[in-house]
Amino acid sequence: MDNRRPLFGYFWAVAAAVLGTLIGLAMTPRFDIVNIAMVYLLAVVVVALRFSRGAAILSAVLCVAAFDFMFVPPQGVFTINDVQYLLTFAIMLAVALVISGLLDKGRSEAGARAALAIEAETERIRSALLASISHDLRTPLSVLTGASSTLAEGGDRLDPQQRIALARSIYGQAQHLSDQVDKVLQMTRLEAGAIALDRDWASLVEIAGSVLNRLSDRLSGHRLIVEIPSDLPLLRVDAPLIEQVLGNLLDNAARHTPPGTVVVLRAEHLANEVIVSVEDCGPGLDERDMDRLFAKFNRGASEATGGGAGLGLAICRAIVTLHGGRMSAEPNPGGGLVFRFTLPVEQAPRPPVEAEEA
Amino acid sequence: MAESLATILVVEDDGEIRRFLCSALGAEGYKVVESANARRGAIDAATHKPDLAIVDLGLPDFDGLEVIRGIRKWSPMPILVLSARSREHAKIEAFDAGADDYVTKPFGIGELLARLRVALRHRARSTTGGVALKLGGAIVDLEARRATRDGSEIHLTPIEFRLIGCLAKHAGMVVAHKQLLGEVWGPTHQGDTHYLRIYMKQLRDKLEADPLRPRHFITETGIGYRLVCDE
Repeated sequence: MDNRRPLFGYFWAVAAAVLGTLIGLAMTPRFDIVNIAMVYLLAVVVVALRFSRGAAILSAVLCVAAFDFMFVPPQGVFTINDVQYLLTFAIMLAVALVISGLLDKGRSEAGARAALAIEAETERIRSALLASISHDLRTPLSVLTGASSTLAEGGDRLDPQQRIALARSIYGQAQHLSDQVDKVLQMTRLEAGAIALDRDWASLVEIAGSVLNRLSDRLSGHRLIVEIPSDLPLLRVDAPLIEQVLGNLLDNAARHTPPGTVVVLRAEHLANEVIVSVEDCGPGLDERDMDRLFAKFNRGASEATGGGAGLGLAICRAIVTLHGGRMSAEPNPGGGLVFRFTLPVEQAPRPPVEAEEA
Repeated sequence: MAESLATILVVEDDGEIRRFLCSALGAEGYKVVESANARRGAIDAATHKPDLAIVDLGLPDFDGLEVIRGIRKWSPMPILVLSARSREHAKIEAFDAGADDYVTKPFGIGELLARLRVALRHRARSTTGGVALKLGGAIVDLEARRATRDGSEIHLTPIEFRLIGCLAKHAGMVVAHKQLLGEVWGPTHQGDTHYLRIYMKQLRDKLEADPLRPRHFITETGIGYRLVCDE
């Protein structure tokens, strides 16, 4: 079946007629003329099976013409003495049309089935998204509604500590909600290819410093070890996005491992890339969860709350891929998980030269 | 000027956001002037002469950037930007227009008040003139061109002094990459961000106790740097 190259089909229609004629010539005079008609019919069938309807019709017409010209008496002219050969021509044409018609139907059915499968997958993702969003948004919204209405309608009957506690939970849930919305929007934009990288020279040490500063509260319960060589080359990256990746990995490590355990942030320069890794010493994951780690809307089975729509790692991987890097996760040999991503190293421009004053 | 008596102009179209801003600012003792659109904001800025302006970027009549540019034509008052646009690009535009700091929506009031205090303090200080900068164990005297750390002399290059000077002029607030590069290396180097990366590393290595977790030379990823001095 070669629908995309129609000329190829027509070429074979001609070739089939020529081949049929050659075989027919070889068969005369030992075989009856009807058998030669069968050879032509075979040629038409083969072309109809392999190529387009147009090529099938062409091959039928050519075979009929060749058969008439070469074999049907009187030979060497296109006139016919015996009317029965008209039937032969009609049958050949009909066979060509029926076969190519059947194939066309089959092809369009296969296309329709593929389209249906894609639609079903889209539908599955959409419903997973909706389920995830409605869960992730409804919980904070319930808290917001409940806590704020309590304050609005009965706030004067509560003692100040209770009021502050309610307000705090409103604040916390609102921040959580805001994060979720940001993630869904960002994933949508990443998938639509709507995020263009704003690359500039950046220092991984600086990016890491900024992340550690921002997450200092979250990480304060863990023993953090940072191993980033100070001579790491500058990278041409979209720094806020890389900061987001690093932040997400460290935040995950802090959230999913017990307090007091070690989290290691490491970076090294190998060949033409920088490899960044975040290792934790938590419970790790079983193989099945490992496989689904980067899938969208996946949340760990044990993770009942605060999963962040299961989009965080999918977003991280999309960002790293957009930078021309790779991201992976594997079990930490000593227990826990290691997340690793690479970023390509480009030749940095020459540093400024400063003439020292005496 | 006592901070608590300062007048703050709030240019924000959303009534709910204006309401909580005004009650929070009022509770801190600030006098608040409210404007719901850019045109009104420009007029209020000129008539009330506030000590600081908080400007939302997404206004119904004109872009908030226009308000900032308008104010900058006649006043150096600190301008704090409120922006729902979380992409750094919009923030950089606001800095180019003359903004001094930004807070991204949604924001907690604590963060906003902290930025506001820094901006007002900076305004109060810039009239009193230069004192040596205290950066943890390090002291940098820009006028005498001397730096020490834990009592011992530290050598800083002329460009390092210029860089600190440029950050110190806006102490506590963000200085955009472009502005730093322009002021320290000249307008032709405004795109050479790698210069800044190299020099900030040098400064941190020389002056910060832990260069990986700087407490004074703060990175605002994708935007610029902020110098935080001890009081």
